[in-house]
Amino acid sequence: MTSRSEALIELDGVRKSFGDTEVLKGISLNVGKGEAVCVIGPSGSGKSTILRTINGLLPVDEGFIRVGEHRVHELRSDREMRPLRRQVAMVFQQYNLFPHRTVLENVAMAPVQVLGHDPEEVRERAVRLLAKVHLDGKESRYPGELSGGQQQRVAIARALAMQPEVILFDEVTAALDPETVKGVLETIRELVVEGMTCVLVTHEMRFAREVSHRVCFTDHGRIVESAPPAELFDAPQDPRTREFLAQVL
Amino acid sequence: MFGLDFTWLLDPTYQGWLVEGVWITLQLAAVSSLAALVIGLFGALGLTLRLWWLDALIELFVEVFRNTPPLLQMLFFYFTLTQLGFTIEDPVTGLQQPLFNAFFSASVSLSLFGGALCVEAFRSGLDAVPKATLEAARSLGYGRWALFRRVQAPIATRICLPGLTNVLTNLFKTTSQASVITVPELMYAAGQVYNDTFRTLEAMLLVLVIYVALVSLLSWALLRLERLFAYPGYGQGV
Ligand SMILES: Nc1ncnc2c1ncn2[C@@H]1O[C@H](COP(=O)(O)OP(=O)(O)OP(=O)(O)O)[C@@H](O)[C@H]1O
Ligand SMILES: [Mg+2]
Repeated sequence: MTSRSEALIELDGVRKSFGDTEVLKGISLNVGKGEAVCVIGPSGSGKSTILRTINGLLPVDEGFIRVGEHRVHELRSDREMRPLRRQVAMVFQQYNLFPHRTVLENVAMAPVQVLGHDPEEVRERAVRLLAKVHLDGKESRYPGELSGGQQQRVAIARALAMQPEVILFDEVTAALDPETVKGVLETIRELVVEGMTCVLVTHEMRFAREVSHRVCFTDHGRIVESAPPAELFDAPQDPRTREFLAQVL
Repeated sequence: MFGLDFTWLLDPTYQGWLVEGVWITLQLAAVSSLAALVIGLFGALGLTLRLWWLDALIELFVEVFRNTPPLLQMLFFYFTLTQLGFTIEDPVTGLQQPLFNAFFSASVSLSLFGGALCVEAFRSGLDAVPKATLEAARSLGYGRWALFRRVQAPIATRICLPGLTNVLTNLFKTTSQASVITVPELMYAAGQVYNDTFRTLEAMLLVLVIYVALVSLLSWALLRLERLFAYPGYGQGV
């Protein structure tokens, strides 16, 4: 396990409530550089909420969050979070592409408009990334003209175009047809192999086992168990983990 | 058939009145539509700032001008303000004249009426942009203003175009009420014509045709605009 000091992402005692319901009840999690950590657990256990606290989309009530040199829990506005957001990209279940922009523009927009990178250079980068996710030739299409799987790969290219150090994936295959799931998982697997730091919320247990260095099982706002996939899947320690795995495997 | 008689249309005097009427209708519609769009835009923008006093102010404005007859608003601006003493002295005759002349009163009231409707249209457009899309933009580092300019506004504009088309065509038709406060627009001109010729039915038929033609032209143009800005998956009238 990664020691605290060298972890790229560090969460400690993170708590978050919506109204009266406490959704995160003290989450502590370290992710090292180049590590792929999968988060699994029942619906409503707080998986998406954890991801959204890491890039500051959701302010927390209590606890400590650090990504690289950014102390996320101390940042207050979207403006203060800009350097953090540059470092941490996110891919969503529903793709959330910009429907009024072409595929190429979706990928190139933020690097130019937010980071102020040179448009020509970003254009080349976008074309290269679209080829990487096997979408060459679709540059001038609109998101509404693509299949779910293709849109999700655009979303991954859009995340990569920010040249992030970390990518957060939130059930990115959950809305896809079975046939298109494979392509998206393949793309993610390549990123992990290349050494991209990834935190993946997923229902694809086989994928989690194959791709991740470590799996965290969450239940009712807590990380119940955290271990390398072979251990967690084959010899789960906690009865709640065993029960969950019995249901999904 | 029906004994319709349009020979008066050949009279240059009547032609002149009607052409002048159409011209003034167009001016009134253009001025108040433009002003209504500006008011609507600023109103809806104001609401996004989430300041309670500004919200209350804009809400009040919208409720008042949306829920009262535009005719009443026009009469208010034309007569009531004059009676309240908002007058100027005519330099030639020395008589007290309304500070707001008929055309100006009509423009102001139509702008405010249309503006209230536009605030609603723009607001519903902004609200209809999916929260998830905005969250994606935030996750890419867009700040508040860039997010509005690059993502929320462009999408919202497309969503609210049909609603705006409604408001603007409505506003165009409502300009006819300015005839009541003697703005010599198309409706007023028609009245002059039939008072002179006693050809009420014919004059009304003609005006009807002109309004249909003008309003159709306007909605056609706005529909073209909608199509122009449409993107696949939205606004292609599937
Ligand atoms: N904005 C919000 N307002 C109120 N409650 C929320 C909000 N977001 C999440 N919740 C609640 O917090 C709990 C955890 O939500 P979260 O989305 O993190 O679960 P999850 O583990 O990702 O579930 P799923 O597998 O269904 O995506 C749920 O009970 C949810 O209803
Ligand atoms: Mg979730």
